[in-house]
Amino acid sequence: MRLKKLISLVIGLGVLSSFAIIYFYIIQKDFTKQHREFLLSLNTFKSAHIDLEHQILQSSIYSYHNQDEMAKNIDSLESEYKALLESQILKDATYAEVKKELQGVQQDLNQHIRNTQNYLMLNASIKNSLVFLNHFIEEANFLQEQNSKLFKNSWQILKNFKDAKFMQDIDYINRNNFLLSSNSKDQKTQDFITSFNLHSNFLIKNYPPYVQTTKNILSDSTRNNLEDIKKEFSQLALSDFKALDIFATILFSVFIFSLLFIIILFLKYLRENKKLQKTTASLEYSLTHDRLTGLLSRAAFEDKLQETAKPHLLLANVDSFKFINDVYGNDVGNIVLQELANIIKSEFSSRKNVSVYRLGGDEFGILFDDIASQDAFEIALELEKKISDYNFLVYELSLHLRVSIASNFIAPILENTDLALKEVKQNYAIRVLQYSEDLNLKTNVEENMKIVEQIKIAIKNNNIIPYFQPIINLKTKKIEKYEALVRLRLADGTILEPFKFLEISKKSSYYHYITKSMIEKTLEMAKEFPKYRFSINISMIDILDEKLLKMLCATLKENPTIANRLDIELLESENMQNIEAVQDFIKSIQQYGSKVLLDDFGTGYSNFSYFSSLDIDLIKIDGSIIREIEIDNRKLHMLKSIHSFSNGMNMKNVAEFVESKEVADLLQEVGVEYAQGYYFGRPLERPLESDEINR
Amino acid sequence: MKKTFLLHLIILNLFAIEPITPIPLDIDINYPKANLGKKLFFDTILSKDNSTSCFSCHNIYDGGADHKVLSIGVENKLGNIQSPTVLNARYNFRQFWNGRARDLGEQIHGPIQNPVEHDMDEKTIETRINGVEEYKQLFGEVFGSTFITYKEVMEAIVEFENALVTPNAKFDKFLRGELELDRDEKEGYVLFKKNGCITCHNGINIGGNSFQKMGTFMEYNEESDYPDRSKITTNPEHKNVFKVPTLRNISKTAPYFHDASAKTLKEALGVMSKHNLGIILKDYEIDSIISFLKTLDGELPKILDIK
Repeated sequence: MRLKKLISLVIGLGVLSSFAIIYFYIIQKDFTKQHREFLLSLNTFKSAHIDLEHQILQSSIYSYHNQDEMAKNIDSLESEYKALLESQILKDATYAEVKKELQGVQQDLNQHIRNTQNYLMLNASIKNSLVFLNHFIEEANFLQEQNSKLFKNSWQILKNFKDAKFMQDIDYINRNNFLLSSNSKDQKTQDFITSFNLHSNFLIKNYPPYVQTTKNILSDSTRNNLEDIKKEFSQLALSDFKALDIFATILFSVFIFSLLFIIILFLKYLRENKKLQKTTASLEYSLTHDRLTGLLSRAAFEDKLQETAKPHLLLANVDSFKFINDVYGNDVGNIVLQELANIIKSEFSSRKNVSVYRLGGDEFGILFDDIASQDAFEIALELEKKISDYNFLVYELSLHLRVSIASNFIAPILENTDLALKEVKQNYAIRVLQYSEDLNLKTNVEENMKIVEQIKIAIKNNNIIPYFQPIINLKTKKIEKYEALVRLRLADGTILEPFKFLEISKKSSYYHYITKSMIEKTLEMAKEFPKYRFSINISMIDILDEKLLKMLCATLKENPTIANRLDIELLESENMQNIEAVQDFIKSIQQYGSKVLLDDFGTGYSNFSYFSSLDIDLIKIDGSIIREIEIDNRKLHMLKSIHSFSNGMNMKNVAEFVESKEVADLLQEVGVEYAQGYYFGRPLERPLESDEINR
Repeated sequence: MKKTFLLHLIILNLFAIEPITPIPLDIDINYPKANLGKKLFFDTILSKDNSTSCFSCHNIYDGGADHKVLSIGVENKLGNIQSPTVLNARYNFRQFWNGRARDLGEQIHGPIQNPVEHDMDEKTIETRINGVEEYKQLFGEVFGSTFITYKEVMEAIVEFENALVTPNAKFDKFLRGELELDRDEKEGYVLFKKNGCITCHNGINIGGNSFQKMGTFMEYNEESDYPDRSKITTNPEHKNVFKVPTLRNISKTAPYFHDASAKTLKEALGVMSKHNLGIILKDYEIDSIISFLKTLDGELPKILDIK
């Protein structure tokens, strides 16, 4: 979980830094572009400024000069300034100071342009006057002879004007008297003087503003200011660039870090994956193989069976294997199984289309694909013989095993083979059996399934019902008691007797409901017929069913008047493994006044030892004895013995299966207290109102 | 080959020295737009009382200016200054006598909205022009829009004005080395330079590229009150300062000066030489200079021949 969080964090960081890098790239690009554009714009502006100066210089040198270029220069100077001011980068607050300074340049710039225009006006007229004077004096040849002093003076003045222009120094003008005068009465001379003085006066008047304007232009600080602005801008930009650098370094580090981490994680993942693959392989092996014998497992068998086209199965089971485990211990049992597995494996190792499985504890399967039934049977016989002859040596023990083998190719393969195997088991003489439908093994299963279904439906529809068979007191010849016998009523009204369903129900989950239903219904009937006693059959399964016992005890407790008329018949045909549970049960029943009767005595598991530990009130003598007392002396003798033993133990007897007068008379003669059977009455849906019998 | 190259080199050098440049023969004009502008130029719909068109004061067939002292606008109102020529106006560094507009695009709004000229406003122009089916169609073709805006109208007229150039003046051909000037004309050009006229009248438009004072040398008509440069700069020294006018087609744009005080070129030359140069030109000199000035008359703009 921590790792997962860490991975998400790092991946998030990586993605974030990737985005940040893209973002950084964009702003960096923008910034660099804007930075470059601003500097470029600054330089263009500067060069326009220089170009203008260049034009001014040209116009001052040449007597005449095309001013188109200059007009264009002024235009471009103004537009470049505007462009510079609108530079994208200046919109950033960082450069507000630069922008402010740049705005400060505006005034200087406007002044510079005005100065330039003023200069042009002054320059034009001064140039024109100087050019004019040049021609004018040149053409005044007559003076050279008439008034050479005046002529010379005029040249001198012009020279001084020219010098003053070159020097841009008005001192050249102030120190001299630049106006001509003469006493000459010559009209031409006077005209010359007038014209000359007109221009001289003009020049004297215009030189100071001209020189001043020139100085103004030359002292224009725009370019110096621009240098300062450039410096300041570069400094600010430098810190921006530095910040970008740091940002880039951090981003790149984060990116590299996440990349490294991802690489490490990936390597780790690869290693884990390898481990996982190993584990998976071993898991798969253990899933498909039996650990003890190394044979294929039942799961593998089921898979293989699915994909086998013509399956033929041999099922081999060790006879009385439990005995080996019990007697020699599981270690020996396991070694025997391993040895046996090896025998079977080696028997089939050279054959194709066959595989060997351990299907259960001591059960082995040999699955063929496409084999003649007869061949399979032969192989089974051979195998059985081989195993029987084999001498298993375990811890210096010499053991011999016998196996039963069933052979089958009829689907459902495993079920049919199993049926055949059971058949083999029951017949000691047969060792190998080939399954066929003729064996009629399957019907039982189907019948059982049908009965279970019938039980289920009967329980659901409350069709488990008691039939009541009268029990006669042989002394009074009156009905004293009824035994509740379970019946199952089918949907069509047919009544099934217990031998049809009771054994099956014991192996299903429905048995509990049957007993419960019997108790409830018998109790109801007992309420209705207070003059009779009633008895119910309880099996070992019931005694071990805590829930049922609780319910029974609670019912008896609630109905004390019925409880002392109720007898419990313990079905003695069953082995009472848990004698303590039976003791407890008898005690708890007897405290409510109920009596306990031992059923089917004299047959099966009947054991006198029960009487030493169980507090039994009555003994029911099994029908297999009673039925034949009349013809078989030994049975009669057994009856007498049981009866005299019972009397000695203070227990009364009930005889069942009394089907003739002769038997009834004999019983009376022996002194048996109670009897039941067809001679006295068959089981009925309801007890009879009268306790009289017509015998 | 080598010879022609050398010749070109020499001619190029000559050009570089001459302070006047010829009008280029090839200019970039959007003719559909300019033609639309031409139609508008002649259309009195662009004046409040439908009396005045651009053409009213700018006879582009005869010098591009107005022969009247003051032009007559809507409701016979008079202007306050002599109408300057619209021909070659694109080559002037500023527009109007006092240069208050940077270019034709700025200039155009002046006369259109001037109460004594066209006396229009944006809305009225849009309403009127959009009401004429022919304009709707023409503007649609040129601008691709369904509603004609004031801006588009101005743009079309400006494009037409940009096409109003008069190339191939005799002097331009001389500059290009295609012909020789007559003796008199050549003499005039030399006097034009020698006397300093060239100082202000130079460049492609022989003027139109600087501001200059009328009466630099000797004050001119100080009491007059014309919209001169001082109205823009508020500098009293800029009294009587105007944009130097072009001398192209000057023979056709009488009367002369902002106040139309000179009816002939001779008069104009007299005033100029006296007030701005401080010289008195002799009659033969004036005649020569006029001969030269006449070589500055160019061909009628090509756009006028296009239907």
